[in-house]
Amino acid sequence: MMNIMIPPELETLLGRGLFEHVPFNVAFIDRDFNIVAANKSFEEYFGDWRRKKCHEVYKDSLRRCAGCHAQETFEDGRVRVSDETGVDRHGRACHYVVHLAPVKDDGQKVQYIIEMTIDLTETRRWQREYDLFLERVPCCVLVVDRQFRIIRDNEKFRQTFGDGRGKLCYEVCKRRKTICKNCPADLTFKDSAEHTSSQVGVHRDGTPAYYVVTSSALSRGAGGVAHVIEMATDVTEVRHLQGELREAQDYYESLIRNSGTGILAVDMLNRAKVMNHAARALLGWNIGRLPGPRRLRQMLPAEFFASNLGEGKALDLSETLIRPRQGPEVPVRFSAVGLRSRGKQLGRAAFLQDLREIKSLEQDKLEAERLAAVGQTVAGLAHTVKNLLMGLEGGMYMVDSGLHRGDAARIADGWEILQRNFEKTTALVKDFLSFAKGRVPDLRPTDPVALARSVVELYRDAARMQGVELVLEPGEVIAEALLDPDGIETALTNLVSNAIDAAALREAPGGKVVLHTRDDAKDLLFEVSDNGCGMDWEVKGKVFTTFFTTKGGKGTGLGLLTTRKIVQEHGGRLEMESAVGEGSLFRMRFPRQRLQTLAEAAARSVNGKSAGAVPNEGKS
Amino acid sequence: MSDAVVKRILVVDDEPDVRTYLCTALEDAGFLVETASDGLEALESIRREPPDLISLDLVMPRHSGARLYHELQKDKKLSKIPVLIVTGHARDEMGQADFEEMTMSGPGVYLEKPVRPVSYVSAVRRLLGLENAEPEPAPEGLRRELFQAMSGADQEALRRALDALKKK
Repeated sequence: MMNIMIPPELETLLGRGLFEHVPFNVAFIDRDFNIVAANKSFEEYFGDWRRKKCHEVYKDSLRRCAGCHAQETFEDGRVRVSDETGVDRHGRACHYVVHLAPVKDDGQKVQYIIEMTIDLTETRRWQREYDLFLERVPCCVLVVDRQFRIIRDNEKFRQTFGDGRGKLCYEVCKRRKTICKNCPADLTFKDSAEHTSSQVGVHRDGTPAYYVVTSSALSRGAGGVAHVIEMATDVTEVRHLQGELREAQDYYESLIRNSGTGILAVDMLNRAKVMNHAARALLGWNIGRLPGPRRLRQMLPAEFFASNLGEGKALDLSETLIRPRQGPEVPVRFSAVGLRSRGKQLGRAAFLQDLREIKSLEQDKLEAERLAAVGQTVAGLAHTVKNLLMGLEGGMYMVDSGLHRGDAARIADGWEILQRNFEKTTALVKDFLSFAKGRVPDLRPTDPVALARSVVELYRDAARMQGVELVLEPGEVIAEALLDPDGIETALTNLVSNAIDAAALREAPGGKVVLHTRDDAKDLLFEVSDNGCGMDWEVKGKVFTTFFTTKGGKGTGLGLLTTRKIVQEHGGRLEMESAVGEGSLFRMRFPRQRLQTLAEAAARSVNGKSAGAVPNEGKS
Repeated sequence: MSDAVVKRILVVDDEPDVRTYLCTALEDAGFLVETASDGLEALESIRREPPDLISLDLVMPRHSGARLYHELQKDKKLSKIPVLIVTGHARDEMGQADFEEMTMSGPGVYLEKPVRPVSYVSAVRRLLGLENAEPEPAPEGLRRELFQAMSGADQEALRRALDALKKK
């Protein structure tokens, strides 16, 4: 058996060392199937073998196996390999491959057989696991040979593309007749490295299949890589979702882009992330990159940065100013919200609505109201003049007829009427001139309570003389307002003196007039109430529409009209409540916002006409 | 009706000077005159002793002429009393509605302030069915122009006045 010349010192080493150190079980059996020698590995695997027959050790059987391969090898001297199941030293079933090699004597007779066994129990288990894994892994797996013929596929592959075994992969996956471009398997066959690419194939139902495929070399043969395993993940669904996502994104982006409202979003570090056309226009931001935190703080209201918007609170400033990159400040309605996703703060968004147009409309409306007041005044004036002429006509008749009759008393009466109506004419002209002057109020920051107090102090004594108590009831702290102090003083004076007259006409004593200043939401109010005779519905209906006096010869009917004119010039309203026998209340209501608008308009017109002083731009 | 019986006229106006004037003019023409300064006072007087004619101002602070007129219309007997409206409000928004309603439904006779004594007395006589002694002389010169201008102060004129003010 040993034709190779082995140095004698290696002979024993080889004989014993090799025998003991090979990584498998080795046993020798003689022609009677006795195990005559075995290595340690064998003993560890099958247990004690001494003075035992092979079938006792391998199979735990007292009888020789049916179709014994050793018997055959003893007879024909050929090497055999056999896949066997047996029993290990612990009595457990085991699976092994056994190689039987004959050991012949000089007469070529087989005296012994070397049996080399390799355990397959573990290997079999691996193989089962591998098969299971390959079949059930949720991606497509296939193994192709150099001709791209599929020699193996898995369940997912068959579900996706149909049964492919034995067919060409490009025919199955893409329904094409030639190899695909950028085929990763082809690359792997060429360089045996791993390759990945995206591919579009055809599902077994004919719909497009999007997948990502990775190829790896599996085995090598004489011509290099023999088999390539390809693993493909179907991304059709992901792609579909991506498409939907992109669509949704385009949709919202287009909404934001085309919104007339300025939209600006910042991240947690107050860096601008979104800024639509309207926001760019409002902020004069005509450069490409978006503004950083420092620039934003210069341009936007401080509340945007100070407010705790992250907690789901919204900010809404009905009117505020933004400071564009260039040019004057712009009035806007400014609202903001915190942006969150699944409880995580992302930043905040601001919405800016340009108020310039609205403010200019409001300006027009104020102007129209003022002209309407003037129109009513002119109409009322005609009536007053008619009444004066009537008085003069009467006086003239009295003097005329008195002269004619020589009736001195009548002449005196007539003269008195003429004098009286002349005085009324003078008073009317004076009132009318004061009414007609100063059509644009000179608005400046004014303390409403101080103004009211000065009027009350001026009239308190006069009221007392008429048995009327005049008191001031200042409301809670009232902020300064942009008012024309002279105009408001005139208006208050008119209302207070009317109220005193009404309270004095009361039948019972205890006449009282109250001047009450207060804030109501966004309006500043002055209320003058009396407990006098009150007005019936007829008087109430007419008191504001023309020159009207309940004071006989004393009044010109211009007091209330002047008051209303002043109030309207301030963008306010004069309101009235009255009940016969209970008293009346006149209320001047000034929306603070409108005062602001008027002051700005006045400042603009002053700037436009001359380089004159700009009215104080105090803010309430 | 006959001149032999002295007619009683009730003059209602809130302006004392106007009352004095109209009262004197009517007395000079031979009428018996009562006065009232507002609608309530007038109503009392009418109920106490119904006059032959009421000279009525429309717009008064307490109980207006229009209201008085409506109250008289409700009373069968009092509604027959002729009413002469003397007003400065015939054409403005304050008196126009009342005025139109009353002239359409009732007396149909009105004078617009300022009223000349002769015109006034003539109108009273006409309403009472009395002959007018002499034709009414037309007003002259500047006064006539002013009269016309005042009674013709229409919307267009007011608008022009408004425009003038706007330009100021």
